[in-house]
Amino acid sequence: MTTSLAITGWGVLSPQGVGADAFARAMAQGRSGLADVGGMFDEPLPAQKAHAIVDFDVREHLGRRRTGNLDRSTAFAVTATGLALADAGLVLAEEDREEVGVVLGCTAGSLRATADFDRETLVNDRPYMVEPLLFPNAVMNCAASRCAIWHDLRGVNGTVPSGQLSAVSVLRYGRTLIRRGHARTLLLGAVEEFGTHRAWIEQHRYGGEPSRLPLGEAAVVLVAEDAARVRAEGRPMDAEILAAEFGQYAAPGQSPDPAEGLAGRLRDALRAAGVTPAEVTSVVTGERGIPHLDEVERSAVEAVFGRHGERLRVKELTGECDGAAGMVQIAAVLARHREDPARDGQVSVVTSCSEDGAVGAVVFRGWSRNGAGRDD
Amino acid sequence: MDRRVVITGLGPVTSIGIGIAAFGAGLRAGRSGISPISSFDTTGFPHAMAGEVRGFEPAAILRRLDPAEWGPASLFAAAAARLAVEDAGIDPERIAGPRSGASVGTCTGEAQVLQSLTEDWVRDGFGALSPADAALVPTARIGAAVNRELGFTGESMMVSAACAASNYTIGNAYDLIATGELDYMVAGGADSVVRWGHAGFYRCGLMAESECAPFDRDRTGVLAGEGGAALFLESLDSARERGARIYAEVLGYGLSCDARHPVAPDADGIARAMRRAHANAGVTPADVDYICAHGTGTPANDLTEATAVRSVFGDTPPPMSSIKSMLGHTMGAASGLGAIASVLGIKEGFMPPTINHRQADPALVGIDPVPNEARPARLRVVQNNGFAFGGNNAVTVFGEVA
Repeated sequence: MTTSLAITGWGVLSPQGVGADAFARAMAQGRSGLADVGGMFDEPLPAQKAHAIVDFDVREHLGRRRTGNLDRSTAFAVTATGLALADAGLVLAEEDREEVGVVLGCTAGSLRATADFDRETLVNDRPYMVEPLLFPNAVMNCAASRCAIWHDLRGVNGTVPSGQLSAVSVLRYGRTLIRRGHARTLLLGAVEEFGTHRAWIEQHRYGGEPSRLPLGEAAVVLVAEDAARVRAEGRPMDAEILAAEFGQYAAPGQSPDPAEGLAGRLRDALRAAGVTPAEVTSVVTGERGIPHLDEVERSAVEAVFGRHGERLRVKELTGECDGAAGMVQIAAVLARHREDPARDGQVSVVTSCSEDGAVGAVVFRGWSRNGAGRDD
Repeated sequence: MDRRVVITGLGPVTSIGIGIAAFGAGLRAGRSGISPISSFDTTGFPHAMAGEVRGFEPAAILRRLDPAEWGPASLFAAAAARLAVEDAGIDPERIAGPRSGASVGTCTGEAQVLQSLTEDWVRDGFGALSPADAALVPTARIGAAVNRELGFTGESMMVSAACAASNYTIGNAYDLIATGELDYMVAGGADSVVRWGHAGFYRCGLMAESECAPFDRDRTGVLAGEGGAALFLESLDSARERGARIYAEVLGYGLSCDARHPVAPDADGIARAMRRAHANAGVTPADVDYICAHGTGTPANDLTEATAVRSVFGDTPPPMSSIKSMLGHTMGAASGLGAIASVLGIKEGFMPPTINHRQADPALVGIDPVPNEARPARLRVVQNNGFAFGGNNAVTVFGEVA
């Protein structure tokens, strides 16, 4: 019997809202997070619009103390982790803290924190005159490890820099860690910040794709536990992660074909979840207006689901959140469940695809906060 | 019922040798891989030594990947993986496909690529970034490189737990094979020497001038290192059925987080990881014959590590050496190279030395660092330590297969 994860609370920090309730309202209203970002930074940006929290102020969320040296990704992650803990109503006794961990996805940490730190070695007369307090921010595991320090969570602490596949990979890893007794409760999430460095790297990478969606930023954190234990204790859950499958194929257009690979992974995931394509209500793809990538997901979803289920392209509302993209796709579905008991028990599928041929799918069932039948 | 999991192939890409024969000889000889830094201009840096890998020719090792399409960390990882599979002596066709995957650790990812982009930015502005480099930025390419080199279509998991990352990946690979989710896994890690890491270590007062001397009374700090580490894992049944040479069994692992300080290590957090590893592996401290230490050579790490070891093992812990004395700190690859040294030691009956050792540190009571010369020993159970910035601790435990 494979372990499945119960999601017993979640937190989100995004241009559409802070906290699950605000995010759920924004998604229900179809409100986009697109904003004018022209005044956000001193440096020029390649595009003036992005799904960014233009006026983000860490002190609003975390106070003045100890927040001065947090990079944007870390501040996002620490905030979303706090929101998730509160949403789950998790009250931790001292001895529980060793059994609670954090695993966060990203692309490469805070590109700004790393590049700015490196810049000091080039522009200073003495190249070693970097700011020592900012050294840990330049390292990718900064966000997850600061979440542990801030919230005093002493269990497993990991960072999964799997980009578009972060949600799939973090959920797989979390399931394994809980199943194998390495943690009892895990904060599983992902974070990606908007910034000049990322925007320009994206521009140089995908500047030739005129139909691509603007960049976005977000942190999403899910509180995950063993679903069997949550059921046995009669506690409600927001979602149950039924399956998460990950495959690595060649780049789109090469062999082994990632589209065929994703179709296979989708079938494996549905089989593991014990549901048929006809039982799936929504398929939330990572399509982003880059044809050769969108085609991988479109053709795989078409092959597996045919006419079954609605298709959701949430990036039209949230922007391209890269390392946080998959978690934002999941949050978009949880948002729809939150206030809508009519959706209780519905099964959704999230798909992801990378430029390097990594593909994956998450299958999960969701429930409303106050609805009946949360333990079906 | 769990499947027993064994290590049957080793792929080190290091400053003291590429491939297990050269690396093993280097460990036994106590060879130093430290040399003047050549990957970036060290003008103005008071310290300019590191463990850079010399003579690495990815095209001579890789069979599928075109080196021109991948960043340096991806090439370290993929070459190490190819070497591990070759060392395992398994038919590459047999392991291609969906039952095989990789779990790959890194601290800084494709940091040399980012370094180059930062140079473009500072020199000519954001409009001048190299599109070719921009394509190489995503860290997940390192795992993709391993799978695509080997034809694995199972997952390519990435872990960045800074300098403890490889131990996370070995634990993950062990779990996935033990539970039957996958049949063959490559675990390990890769990192490159970069200017900002060098500057950061130096500025934080953590860097030695020219020699890394862990557990020495007069130790002054780390030296940066780089390379790739890969271990090939399969079930014991699979290894026996094909008559494979088995280095060692993965007995278990333990993870913890200090949750205290972004940089300073913490003996309680480290001891917790060790105890969790022992419990997970089903061993007691008395069973452990040798500890492959994290042993960075900073005054704080070595004292904290020794304190944690004594709190778990008592006053007479097993010998504990640091291969960072030879390699420098290879970051995401470090605990993977430690694991390779550990299981090679089990298979061939020796403990690698801590080189550059002159004066025992009276503060490290009871610590035997295996000074300067490799020591023959039958090793039944070995513990491999990996700690990191952010208080990310990971300990793996390996055992002899009779």
